[in-house]
Amino acid sequence: MIFAIVVFSIVYVLIASEKVNRVAAALAGAGVILAVGTVTTEDAFYSTETGIDWNVIFLLFGMMVIVGVLKLTGVFEYVAIWATKKAQGRPFRVMALLSLITAVASAGLDNVTTVLLIAPVTLLVCERIGVRPIPFLIAEALASNIGGTATLVGDPPNLIVASKSRLGFNDFLINLGPLVIVLLIVFVALSRLLFRKDFEADPEQVAQVMTLDEKEAIRDRPLLVKSLIVLALVLVGFTLHSVLHIEPSVVALLGAGILIAISGLRPKTYLADVEWETLLFFAGLFILVGSLVKVGVIDQLATLLVEATNNSVPTAMMVLLWGSATLSAIVDNIPFVATMTPVVSELVAPGGQYAGEDGLWWALVLGADLGGNATAIGASANVVVAGIAKRNGHPISFWEFTRYGLVVAVVTLAIATPYLLLRY
Amino acid sequence: MHAHEIAEPYPVIQAETSALDAARMIARERRPGLVVIGRDGAPSAVLSASQVVQFMVPDYVQDDPNLAGVMGEEPSAKIAERLQRATVASLLPREPDELPVLNSDDTVLEVAAIMARLSSPLAVVMDGGEILGVITASRLLETVLGDSQ
Repeated sequence: MIFAIVVFSIVYVLIASEKVNRVAAALAGAGVILAVGTVTTEDAFYSTETGIDWNVIFLLFGMMVIVGVLKLTGVFEYVAIWATKKAQGRPFRVMALLSLITAVASAGLDNVTTVLLIAPVTLLVCERIGVRPIPFLIAEALASNIGGTATLVGDPPNLIVASKSRLGFNDFLINLGPLVIVLLIVFVALSRLLFRKDFEADPEQVAQVMTLDEKEAIRDRPLLVKSLIVLALVLVGFTLHSVLHIEPSVVALLGAGILIAISGLRPKTYLADVEWETLLFFAGLFILVGSLVKVGVIDQLATLLVEATNNSVPTAMMVLLWGSATLSAIVDNIPFVATMTPVVSELVAPGGQYAGEDGLWWALVLGADLGGNATAIGASANVVVAGIAKRNGHPISFWEFTRYGLVVAVVTLAIATPYLLLRY
Repeated sequence: MHAHEIAEPYPVIQAETSALDAARMIARERRPGLVVIGRDGAPSAVLSASQVVQFMVPDYVQDDPNLAGVMGEEPSAKIAERLQRATVASLLPREPDELPVLNSDDTVLEVAAIMARLSSPLAVVMDGGEILGVITASRLLETVLGDSQ
C-alpha cells in the first residue's frame, strides 16, 4: 500500500509542479506500478474497477475527431462574427454574446477546443472595435468552464464521473443544466461590473466591425451540412442513452466513423486535432488510481470522508464542493477527480454510507469545474487562452486573470451551494 | 564546380534593421531571402521571404486561417505600418536555426544537400571568417541545368 501511495504522490507532485510533462509523469508512474506488480496487466487493461476506463478514452477520441472536422467548416467563426454584428460592435454586448456562444459550444464540445476556436475571432473583433482583447478572452475562458459544466461531454471531469457513476447525458443536463443557465446569467451581469472600464470604444472604429463578412468563413458548405447532421445525431444518441442502451463512447465513435466516411477527408486531416497526449495522460492516470483502489487506499479515503463529515450528506456535499474547488484552482482537476471518483462511487453505492445520494457526484463535478475558474492555471481553457493572448502580443498575467476568475469562481460556487443543499 | 565559383555578391542586413526595409529589399530585387549579419560581420541568420510574408498575417489569422476571408482586403498601408514597427530580429525564430553556411571548396552536391536539409532558399559561402557570396536556389539550378545541356 505504501509503495502505491508513494508513487502516486510523486506523480501528483510532478504534475502539479509542472516540472515534468504530465504525460511523462503519469506514464512513468503507471509503468513503475506495473513493473513492480502492484497491479497486473489484467488489473490495468481489463478490469472495470482498477483498469483504464476505455469508455472515457474512446469518448474523448470520438469527440476529438468530430470536433476536428467541424473546425474545418468555419461554423464557429460564422456564428461569432454574426453575433458581433448583431451586437453592432458594442463592446459589452459583444462580450456577452461571445461568452454565451463559448458557453453553449463548451457544453457540446470540450472547453479547450472551444476557446481555441473563439479566441482568434475575438482578437480580430477587438482589433476592429479598438478595445483591449484581454477582458474578452478572460470572460470567454470563464464562460467556457461554466458552460462545460452542464453536460457529460462538456469537461473531462464530467466524463470521468459519468463513466464511474453510470450517470447519463440526460442526468447531467437535468441536474446541472438549470443551474448552469442561472450561473451564466449571473456571469454576464457580473462581467458588466468586473470589466466596466474596458467597454469604451471609438464609435467610428466600432462601425468597422460591420465590414466583416461572416459568410466568407464557410469554406466548405457540404462538409458543414454533413458535420452538423452528424453532431446532431451524436447529441441525440447521447440523450437517448436510456432508450438505446448504447454507451456515449460508442455513440461518439459511430459519429466519428460516419463523419470520416462521408467527409472524404484524409486521415492526416481528421486526426489532426486528436490530442494523443491527453489520451495517454488519462490512460496512465487510470492505472495509477486503479493501483490505489486495488491496495485499499480508496476504501480508507472513503472512510475518512465519512468520519470527517459525521455521516451528514449536506456536510459531505459541502466538503466535496469547496474542497474540490480549492484543489482544482491550484492543480489540474483531472487527476483530482480521477482519484475522488472511486471514493464517491464507494460512498454512494448500495450499502455505502451515503447510498443513492447523487448530490455527492454533483458536488464533486461542480467543485472541480467551477473551481477551475479561480486562477489562471485552474483549467486547461485558461492556460490555452493565456497562451493565445501572449502569442498575439497581449500577455495576461497570472494575477490579472485571477483577479477576475476568483470573483467569478466564488460567486458561482456560492450559488451552487444552496442549489445542492436544497435540491439534494 | 565549387561553391566559390557560383557564389554571387548578395546584400546583407542587420537584426536591428526595420522589417519594412528588409521587405522592400526582397520585393524590389525579387530575392528569396536575405542574409542577416551580426555586429562582427559574420552571418547570424537567413531571413527568408516566406518569413516576411508570414509576418504580414496577424497571429490570430495564422491560428485560424478561416478568418482571412472574413477580414476582406487589408489596406497595404496597414501592412506596411506593421512592418515598420518591427525589426528583422522580430521576424526570425526565437531559437536560432542552423545556418546554411558553406566552405568555398564545397561541391554543388554539398550546396544542394545543405539547402535541402535546412529548407533554405539560399546558402552563404564563407572564406575563412569572411562572406564570399551567396548561392540562391535559382542560381544553383541554373548552374546544374547549364552543365547538363
